Amino acid sequence: MIEDLAMHLADLVENSLRAGARHISVALRRHGDWLEMEVCDDGCGIADRDLPRAVDPFYTTKPRSAIGLGLPLLAQTAEGTGGTCSIARRTGGGMRVVARWGWEHPDRPPLGDIVGTLVPLIATSPEVEFTVELGDDRGTWRLRTGEVREHLGEVPFTHPDVLRFLESALQEGIDTARMKEGE
Amino acid sequence: MRLDELRKIRERAAAELRLRGGASRIKIVVGMGTSGIAAGARQTLRAILDEVTRRDLRDVVVTQTGEKGLAAQEPIVEVHEPMRITIYGEVDEGVARRIVAEHVVNGRPLSEHVVESREVPGDQPPH
Repeated sequence: MIEDLAMHLADLVENSLRAGARHISVALRRHGDWLEMEVCDDGCGIADRDLPRAVDPFYTTKPRSAIGLGLPLLAQTAEGTGGTCSIARRTGGGMRVVARWGWEHPDRPPLGDIVGTLVPLIATSPEVEFTVELGDDRGTWRLRTGEVREHLGEVPFTHPDVLRFLESALQEGIDTARMKEGE
Repeated sequence: MRLDELRKIRERAAAELRLRGGASRIKIVVGMGTSGIAAGARQTLRAILDEVTRRDLRDVVVTQTGEKGLAAQEPIVEVHEPMRITIYGEVDEGVARRIVAEHVVNGRPLSEHVVESREVPGDQPPH
């Protein structure tokens, strides 16, 4: 069951991976009283005819799926905090999902383990380029896996040193963007 | 980003590779399709990467893949060695950690969790 925002994020990134995306960008931003989560990809997206049903909890295109509650639940938790959720096709292909929660709203799910969620997905998808942006009103911290790969050459992202690097780099971004409960 | 850190990692990894005289010894593939994730593949994947980091396994590569057509036995984990592919079923976090400790590190497959094991031609690299 999806209990925190990190799990929503995992769900969105996994959707993008399943859609065959080669580029996935993930952004978490604190703007004023809002927390915004955005995931964009260049995957095969959701067909026009299915888009209106994307937030219908009883609808899925996945055969014999045990889940499929991801997007409806995302919309529900965002709207429950006075926020919004939009799911749109990008011109040129791919999807863009943006959800907003009231940061201080008592019904906002906790952030959860953002670093521990993103690192495994990034590290085990060597054919996908990720851009991670963490920001607030003051500025944006950015990680591009393409850039990391350029410097690493043939070293796989699941090399223990690289895993540790990715973890500490993302944690630095989380701290920079003040993504911390109670702040 | 600390790019000099990446450069150091690359240099160290290149030296390890020279010492080892070849590419990665083992590839671990985790099935991350919808049914796998519903069955707990996220926790499985995290446990494997955690063991790789904790045990400092520098000659192992971990990747994920979509549905494996073995929905009833998910989460599925494959261990690819130069001569053999071993497929494990119903790999929860605990089994995942044991696969790394017993099979990947000590070379002893966990027979009670093996779904399939097949030999592959030895002249092909594991990936």
